Amino acid sequence: MNQQTLVELSRWQWAITAGFHIVFPSLTVGTSMFLVVCYAAFMRTGREVYLRLFRLWRRIFAIGFGLGVVSGIVLTFEFGLNWGGFAHDAGPILGVIIGMEVVTAFFLEAGFLGLLIYGDGRISQRVMLFSACMVSLGTLLSVTWILAANSWMQTPAGYSLVNGQFLPRDWVQVILNPSFGWRTIHMLVGVLVSAAWFVTGISAWYLVRSRHLDVARRGLSIGLGAAAVLIPVQMYLGDSIAAGYIIPYQLPKLEALEGDWTSTNTGYNLFLWPDQSAAKNDWVVTIPWLGSAIAKDWSGRTPAPGLLQTPPGLRPMVLPSFYGFRLMMYAAFAMFATAMVGVILRLRGRLHVTRWFHRWLLVLTPAGPLAIIGGWVLAEAGRQPWLVYGRLLTADAVSPLSTWQVLTSLALLILVYAMLLGTYIWYVARVVRQGPEDRPVPEPVRARVAPTPRALRAEKGN
Amino acid sequence: MNVSDVWMIFIGLAFAAYIVLDGYDLGIGVLTLLQRDDRRRREMYELVARAWDGSESWLVLLAVAVWGGLPLAYGLALPSLYIPLTLMLVSLIWRGFSIEIIAQYRAWQRGWGLAFGLGSLVAALAQGAAFGGLVAGVAVRGSSFAGGPFSFLHNGYAVLTGLGAVVLYLFAASAWVYYKSGGELQRWAARRGRVLSLLLAAATVACWALLQPSGTMTLDPGSAARVAVWVPGAVMLAGGLAYAYRSFGRHPDAGPVEGAFAVYAGGLILALGLLYPYVVPPHVTVHAAASPTGSLTFLLVGVGLSMPAILAYNAYAYWAFRGKLSENDEVDGLAPGPAGREVAAG
Ligand code: HDD
Ligand code: HEM
Ligand code: HEM
Repeated sequence: MNQQTLVELSRWQWAITAGFHIVFPSLTVGTSMFLVVCYAAFMRTGREVYLRLFRLWRRIFAIGFGLGVVSGIVLTFEFGLNWGGFAHDAGPILGVIIGMEVVTAFFLEAGFLGLLIYGDGRISQRVMLFSACMVSLGTLLSVTWILAANSWMQTPAGYSLVNGQFLPRDWVQVILNPSFGWRTIHMLVGVLVSAAWFVTGISAWYLVRSRHLDVARRGLSIGLGAAAVLIPVQMYLGDSIAAGYIIPYQLPKLEALEGDWTSTNTGYNLFLWPDQSAAKNDWVVTIPWLGSAIAKDWSGRTPAPGLLQTPPGLRPMVLPSFYGFRLMMYAAFAMFATAMVGVILRLRGRLHVTRWFHRWLLVLTPAGPLAIIGGWVLAEAGRQPWLVYGRLLTADAVSPLSTWQVLTSLALLILVYAMLLGTYIWYVARVVRQGPEDRPVPEPVRARVAPTPRALRAEKGN
Repeated sequence: MNVSDVWMIFIGLAFAAYIVLDGYDLGIGVLTLLQRDDRRRREMYELVARAWDGSESWLVLLAVAVWGGLPLAYGLALPSLYIPLTLMLVSLIWRGFSIEIIAQYRAWQRGWGLAFGLGSLVAALAQGAAFGGLVAGVAVRGSSFAGGPFSFLHNGYAVLTGLGAVVLYLFAASAWVYYKSGGELQRWAARRGRVLSLLLAAATVACWALLQPSGTMTLDPGSAARVAVWVPGAVMLAGGLAYAYRSFGRHPDAGPVEGAFAVYAGGLILALGLLYPYVVPPHVTVHAAASPTGSLTFLLVGVGLSMPAILAYNAYAYWAFRGKLSENDEVDGLAPGPAGREVAAG
């Protein structure tokens, strides 16, 4: 009983801290690329509007990045603090992969971040652009390594089990495990979509308020354009994940995400409320025929597999898997439809003047991070009760702590995170309201000594 | 000497890099609590703002170096240090966020500054307590932790090491501020630095003397090899302290920083000489905890290939921000306004 409470509290703590962390990568990875684009455009064309875009977004980027860093450190420690058994068993593989992430990605990000944010007046334009590229590259490497680690937990490969510990046998198989490819690409495109959508939403706000129109129009065009291309790609990738790895490797996850118990449903469930212990749904809203059609049987006779096939002890929870998936998918549909309307408006030349559309974009600003959280909830809750799929049970991996210890740390983290999130949103709103400065760049002054002659020359250059 | 010993040295270096780099910026955080003048406090914030995030990468490196290289130690030691490490994480988050807000948005300096200072203080205390809780010994059964939530305290020994860490970081911070600033702030740092050198000497002696009575570690020199490590460590530490004490308030300004480096190096040699071959005293040795050679080699290759680049671009960043904060410069941000780049450039 006590043990079970301990496991549950530890899972909640992980879910909340990881869910908090992922909000920031989902904005900073794409924003860092946007910064590269803006600065490169500025250097190429010499037009000041790009520099102002760059400066505006850099301020928003800086704090998000800082929050990403501190909340990521918490996760690294939690592997040992809360999941000591897991740290011991999987350390020779996952500790090493995340170690590679630290030396290749985190140091790269951190090493160039200071230059990117505080380098004005101290480094030349070329070095500034280079720093932006390196920060961006660091975030991409980070996504790749962390997905290698998590994908190995979903589809372990290339190891041998010795005394309960996973030892590496073949690093190529460990890293290029069966789910790694599709999942990494899906995640990469996902973070780009969310950042593009974020930029679009905030630019729309300026259009609604009729302020800083040049910056807003540029931002809207770049953001919406990227999103219109990427969202269809992302939907295709998501479908490939389901077909390419969930069905062959983790069928119970599919059963849970579709929310079926019996294997007879040929329709598609839109909403439902499951009763996990009675192994049925209390109520459900279904579109007939559609489920079969999604499985590419247009005659409407192919049912989706149900959870009753899976032994009760090995069934993932329907509630988080189903709604995690629905959240991601509904967000995807909403963004897709909106982006298509945007394309039509653009073709008719009305994109920058259609007020209701700008208001709607503003409402949809957080759609990207929401889809990402939904996707992760599905991926992780659908993996239960396993921590390393088919090999290590979550319940066997938890650290021998007292329940009150975890309860206290959980409460403390929730409190601090809630305050941080609140302040972060307030801060972004402030920066956006202040807007891109029209005066020649009142930046925080970092240059305490006379800048190098090279930097001065660069300065004169703008 | 096999690959796990190499790994232990690497962990020692990551540990050193972390406490040297984050040590001074945590210390500056605590120092700001002692500084009344807004403008000088602002100068100290600036010193931290552009460095803290890089420094904390070394903490992550330290954590994963232990996890990937010595998984048994990671899974044992972290649960045993749950309380201090959780406090450390929460306060690191807190101060990291505060300093970003201070640097990027310039209102409510007082409130965020206080949050930043207190966060730094708790983080330093918690790190010292975690270190003390570890070296004094961890109860183990099989491959898991067998003590209670408070066994890390060891009758208060962990509180002592916590205070020791605060003093060490404050000392390092005064040395760094002394090096990076001029005028009144520099004189202020020198006065603090001299007192702190003495305090640090006292704290070191106390931590060493009370280790055996409070914990399960025995301070047995055992072999001549061990003494051969302890003696130079102790000499370096004492020499560094004396040199720093003398150099505060004199030219060249780098003197105290050089002294602090010697203190860190000496302390590290002492600690390694004390612990080796144990990583989680009093039972678990580095060889018992190590990952198989396949893991260690892969990681070492990765580290070996990236370290030169890491050191190079970190050195470049330090170089780009070289030089002193100067009193004559506009200290911007006290009032939001067009304190533009022109001021500094022109
Ligand atoms: C998008 C993919 C992604 C995912 C799934 C995760 N992260 Fe992350 N993480 C990043 C993408 C990222 C990043 C983009 O690289 C960050 C975010 C902002 C930043 O500063 O770097 C980062 C920062 C970051 C840091 C601080 C890096 C530094 O010191 O500079 C740590 C320690 C972690 N993460 C650790 C984790 C762990 C243990 C995770 C899993 C449980 C995790 N991250 C999931
Ligand atoms: C209709 C379109 C989509 C489908 C069918 C789809 C499908 C899936 C599936 C099946 C998974 C589970 C992977 C697993 O269990 O490991 C998943 C995960 C995920 N999805 Fe989607 N997805 C879609 C759109 C999106 C969008 C628009 C985003 C973000 C903007 C997104 C972000 C994610 C993320 C972050 C994960 C978790 C990481 C991972 O497992 O790769 N998805 N998606
Ligand atoms: C940042 C994006 C991620 C999010 C939002 C996320 C979300 C979650 C959630 C919701 C759970 C709880 C599942 C449940 O108990 O029902 C969980 C569990 C867990 N995940 Fe993740 N996850 C993320 C990335 C990762 C990665 C990259 C790893 C490993 C490298 C990982 C390792 C774990 C572990 C160790 C647990 C705890 C044990 C468990 O409950 O299975 N997660 N995660």
